[in-house]
Amino acid sequence: MSVRRVPRPPTREFALQNGLSVVLAPDPRSPTASVWVWYRVGSRNEHPGITGASHWVEHMLFEGSPRYAKGEIDRAVVSVGGELNAFTDVDFTAYYSTVPREHLGIPLDIESDRMTRALITDEEVARERTVIFSEREGNENWPEFRVEEELYQLAFREHPYRWDALGRRRDIETMSAEQLRSYYRRFYGTRNAVLVVAGGFEPGAIAHEIRRRFGPLGASGEDVAVRDVEPAQRGERRAELTGPGTTPYLQVGFRAPALEEPATPATILLDTILGGETRLFSIGSAWGRSSEHPSSRLYRGLVDPGIAVRATSEWRPRRYPGLFTVQAQAAAGVSLDRLERAVLRLLERLATDGPSREEIEESRTKIRRATLLAYEGASRTAFRLGYFSVLRSPRLEDEIFSDLLRVTARDVRVRAAELFRAEQRTVVRYRPVREAGRG
Amino acid sequence: MAEPREPLRLEYLPPVDGLTVVRQAPPASAGSFAATYVGPAGWGFDPPGEGGMARLVSQLVTVAAGPYDRVALARRLDRAGATLTRQCAPESSEVTVWGPADEWEELLGLLALVVLKPRFDPADLRHVRRQLVERQLREATQPAQRAERELLKGIFPTGHPYATTGLGSPQTLRQLTRERLVRFHREHYTSGGGLLVVTAPARGGTIAAVARRRFTGFDRATGPALRPGPRRSGGRGYREVDLPGRSQVDVRLGGPSIARGDPSFPAAFLANEMLGGRPLLSRLFQRVRERGGLAYGASSELEAMRLGGYWVAAAGTGADRWKKVVPMLQQELRRLREVVASPSELDLVRESAIGEIPLSLESTAEAHELAVDAGYHGLPEDHWLRWPEVLRGVRPNEVRDAARTAFGEAGSVTVVVGPVGAPDRKSRARR
Repeated sequence: MSVRRVPRPPTREFALQNGLSVVLAPDPRSPTASVWVWYRVGSRNEHPGITGASHWVEHMLFEGSPRYAKGEIDRAVVSVGGELNAFTDVDFTAYYSTVPREHLGIPLDIESDRMTRALITDEEVARERTVIFSEREGNENWPEFRVEEELYQLAFREHPYRWDALGRRRDIETMSAEQLRSYYRRFYGTRNAVLVVAGGFEPGAIAHEIRRRFGPLGASGEDVAVRDVEPAQRGERRAELTGPGTTPYLQVGFRAPALEEPATPATILLDTILGGETRLFSIGSAWGRSSEHPSSRLYRGLVDPGIAVRATSEWRPRRYPGLFTVQAQAAAGVSLDRLERAVLRLLERLATDGPSREEIEESRTKIRRATLLAYEGASRTAFRLGYFSVLRSPRLEDEIFSDLLRVTARDVRVRAAELFRAEQRTVVRYRPVREAGRG
Repeated sequence: MAEPREPLRLEYLPPVDGLTVVRQAPPASAGSFAATYVGPAGWGFDPPGEGGMARLVSQLVTVAAGPYDRVALARRLDRAGATLTRQCAPESSEVTVWGPADEWEELLGLLALVVLKPRFDPADLRHVRRQLVERQLREATQPAQRAERELLKGIFPTGHPYATTGLGSPQTLRQLTRERLVRFHREHYTSGGGLLVVTAPARGGTIAAVARRRFTGFDRATGPALRPGPRRSGGRGYREVDLPGRSQVDVRLGGPSIARGDPSFPAAFLANEMLGGRPLLSRLFQRVRERGGLAYGASSELEAMRLGGYWVAAAGTGADRWKKVVPMLQQELRRLREVVASPSELDLVRESAIGEIPLSLESTAEAHELAVDAGYHGLPEDHWLRWPEVLRGVRPNEVRDAARTAFGEAGSVTVVVGPVGAPDRKSRARR
């Protein structure tokens, strides 16, 4: 089956006078409705001293407002069987609730309230500090997190992509409630938000309801553009960490284009050829990302010969230039040096010889098929629409998709040669320490 | 075309050679299909000295089958826009195929192929064995996974089907030959004792005919039965494992529990929801995170299987905070067993659990999980339709009474794993 366009559900889009963008995707058959608010605010808008502020504000937006006392937001949604949560990225923050369709008014009320009226009290900030620490500590237990944090810190010197969305330890220790309130007042508001509603509702009535609830909010939200420009990398950077773990592990990162650059389609294909799938168009998303892709280059080059137990690549779509990474976990008994040599050799070969026509076709097929079921269910529909909307608009997906179908093997080879240059490479290796009695 | 869509109502179709076949309609707005085979092939069946057998077989089944080597199978799935996943548990192993609904017949055939004709290619065996060895290391070195292993070891005596996580040891994995794996597959991926659940936009008769055509050729029509293992007698256990160099301490409390078929299950289900199963509303979440600010997560689980089960209360916290968290978890368990909950608290949790059912009908994947659960436990066709009424019939004192057995203190274990010995040196790796 040949898929020529993304089978996206019909949407109705409009903006309120206060700048709030709205995307509606009604599906009369859906038993649920999903409400997402995406803010164009993420850790990129922080600076040293307040790293982790976006994530902390995300937590605080569940902790009370004049209309919802502490705990009442959770209670209002969960008590009707709904689910709610939020997440923070470097480029954006998203808050969502999915509820049985007859309760759609609840999340709309919550989101219109906390967009500008969250309390963020000293007392709650103090209590939440240890929760945030705990979240960070849970991540620190994983070598993969420690390596990735080090990788971005090394690869970026100026740009705020240098720190993780969780924030630095010392900033979590010292950030004050007033700093969080100030950050919230500065960036959170209608001008920096996209509201997406998908599922079972009548669009006319909901559009009216949205205007009634969000219309009275004043236009707010300062410019979120990042002025810092990361200078070009002029030489390889590397680090080696040690700690508890299983087998040697490494991540190699290369400076990669921003989402809206012309190089994006070829980069997506390169990611698919190397690692077997790509974040924007992944077949397995209903069941979680598939872990094994035996036909991918990394699998054939590292896992098949017994050098690694797993290996993947990842290009994350970013508003500003980010990283293209390759991650590999060695098989027991394989050294870091051998693992790294194998990874670099494989990338070099792709940059020199390019992919085969068969690989291009296979990757295109994967991407085409992945779009088929990408919009199943209200929650996934609202997620996907919101994701592309917060980066630009739902049509961004169509543009990338149609460009992808035109990428040639030569384009991918040229892209690989531009990307995998030694001078713009950052390598972080993880050497597990030997522990007594770990069995 | 399809019969009226009612995804919550299941349909038991005529068995195929003893294989139970269940049909479910996908949600109205869904475009995907899912089918799962469940066989009596969990790690509770691992022969003595052959730990890791069930997991190894479970992984290999989804790698290559029939004419497809691992690359060809992966390409076949990619061409269809489908995925093949597996899940191994103490009592059973599952294989699930998911993909576009208009290809359901083809994909059901592919599921039959991997279940009936896995290849067990030597290269795949070497590869999967390497992966499992790495997972064993992860289980030994990661506090959360180590805590789970220690907890099960503490609750159940050696030889009990629930006493391990099924990964075996490097030694046992090394000695598992292809012949042994083929034999395990023949004896455990059977029609008898097996279950096939199909969530597809087709009539029951059509699905039954396709299932009959595709799922023939099992080596055995009778599946093995798992025997309940011995119970540890009385007492409470405590185990602390110092893993320096980590940031977080993982705390687990757990004990033996009831089987899914126990008449008190609905009340025990609500007891778990109240304790920590319904994260934002639950007592553990409220006390440990929302009021105490001591952990990012605090929750509980009730693993009620066919033969029995176990309960777990869990939290991940800092090296300087776990000593406050452990007594909180203990107190909340005691309160659950001793104090009758207020009707309003029970109502809140109950209505939340009932209200959540429509969310399971957002996609085929979610609805399908309900059908597999009901089919595996042999629940009536209208089980999920009647579930709200069953829950509404549970009274507060029944929840407390069920908690005394399902979250009992006898035989319970507390496990603390992480940098417990030297919290002030937690950032430095030692040993």
